[in-house]
Amino acid sequence: MADFIQLLMNGLALGSVYALAAIGFVIVYSATGVVNFAAGQFVMLGTFAGVATLVNGGWSLPAGYLGALAAMALFGALFYAVVYLPLRNSPAVTMIIGTVAIGITLQNAALLGFGSWPFRLVSPFEGMTVDIAGAVVPVHAIAVVVTTAVLIGLLWLLFNRTTLGIAMRAVAQDLVAARLMGLKVGALLAFTWILAAVLAGVAGLMLGPMWFADVNMGDPIALKAFAATIIGGFGSLPGAIAGGLFVGLTEVLGAAYVSSAYKDLIAFGAMILFLLLRPQGVFGERIQDRG
Amino acid sequence: MLGCSDLTVAYGDIVALHGVTLQVRAGETVALIGANGAGKTTLLQTISGLNKVRGGHISFDGSPLDSLSCERRVRLGIAHAPEGRRIFPGLTVEENLVLATSPWRPPGGRYGDEIAQVFELFPRLKERRRQLGWSLSGGEQQMLAIGRALMARPRLLLLDEPSLGLAPRLAEEVYERVGRIRRSGLTILVVEQNTVLALAVADRGYVLETGRVVLEGAAAELKRDPRVREAYLGR
Ligand SMILES: Nc1ncnc2c1ncn2[C@@H]1O[C@H](COP(=O)(O)OP(=O)(O)O)[C@@H](O)[C@H]1O
Ligand SMILES: [Mg+2]
Repeated sequence: MADFIQLLMNGLALGSVYALAAIGFVIVYSATGVVNFAAGQFVMLGTFAGVATLVNGGWSLPAGYLGALAAMALFGALFYAVVYLPLRNSPAVTMIIGTVAIGITLQNAALLGFGSWPFRLVSPFEGMTVDIAGAVVPVHAIAVVVTTAVLIGLLWLLFNRTTLGIAMRAVAQDLVAARLMGLKVGALLAFTWILAAVLAGVAGLMLGPMWFADVNMGDPIALKAFAATIIGGFGSLPGAIAGGLFVGLTEVLGAAYVSSAYKDLIAFGAMILFLLLRPQGVFGERIQDRG
Repeated sequence: MLGCSDLTVAYGDIVALHGVTLQVRAGETVALIGANGAGKTTLLQTISGLNKVRGGHISFDGSPLDSLSCERRVRLGIAHAPEGRRIFPGLTVEENLVLATSPWRPPGGRYGDEIAQVFELFPRLKERRRQLGWSLSGGEQQMLAIGRALMARPRLLLLDEPSLGLAPRLAEEVYERVGRIRRSGLTILVVEQNTVLALAVADRGYVLETGRVVLEGAAAELKRDPRVREAYLGR
């Protein structure tokens, strides 16, 4: 039982990271129609932004986190201006190739800048644990789950209670009508990319202490986030959250109770089953949102 | 108030408007009638800034619109209830309406007067204000599309086929409201295939055929014109 609680918390923490990556993927997809194949590299970049400020830069924790997130926001704006804007009227395939190319570029740039030797990004709660019903749970895992829950709550408020968030949803639902209503469509789309990049940044900073900061970490994250959105329902935010948690939990529990070699089998098996049997995922696509 | 002179608009090789010249004076309601594919929607979209102009000019209040974005044109007071309504399906009625105030409303600013006027004109929208856009009937969606355009504090209202897809009784109801908006003094340019309804509400009209204005005049004259009677009124 104690083992199980510990695994559960670690699984939820990992799942939270996948969920944030999947949320970034989904808000970009719903607003812009772009399937961002660089989403995993966005998270990697978040981790390495933390490596740059905290490890190489030696900044204090708050400054290091803020600096890394500010860099990610800037990166999101750049991505909008340099990749999305020039390609937005091209065929979907061109855009996909564009995001793949940027993903590969990011990975190689990280390799050049940081080398192939992994870094260790320390947690603010390094070495701290709490006892929950006899289980020893790292405080970092709890902090990750809590941070993610708070972010999801803030996102909910943004999309449901603020004019900015409602305008972002309007742009996602009908771009032409949004322009006719006089919404600043360009700024709203740019903000969507910035938000996705910052969420990936938070995911990367939280993941750093759980894994090693490795320039190749983006690919497995992209696969897990992708599986999470398929299982939860492509384009659905609740689906991204549920799917992310499911993938994280099955990965950790599968490694412990089934086999660490096949730990990903459950998540990817579930993804394939969903693709075959229920392609709209658990939550389906909210068709009514898409017009 | 609005002037289009020698306007030419094309989609690639397909020329949709061939040198269209048209005026809408302040306080006037103008109907633009024409069959399916005549270029009516293209004209309204060009006035709103969705389409690029290949030749000619558009002016609003005497100044050129040609280089302005959609957003700037809405700020100047051009509101557009587009063909097919295009209300935001996943937003509530109230969210649809409030969003349309963003061009003039500062963050946190009030919109109570505007929304009260829209609800007075369309009481059904008030009843359904917490419902999502997609769950409305066709007539309600049209009312929301018009109400949403009114929330922008327009000085010129562009209506694209407000009767499209509605049962005759509902179409008449929508036009009865258009008549009320007209009596409030707002300038309106309405595009229609339903010639009877459009000419009944309008002061003047233009007839568009394959991208060219072939006839213009007072609405009463157009109603009597044998060419209009034969081609568009079916008698
Ligand atoms: N997006 C588009 N791409 C290419 N051709 C278009 C497009 N929209 C309209 N057209 C063409 O332009 C012409 C005018 O269309 P439209 O303005 O929609 O007419 P109406 O509103 O009077 O029915 C038609 O021949 C139509 O096929
Ligand atoms: Mg049309």
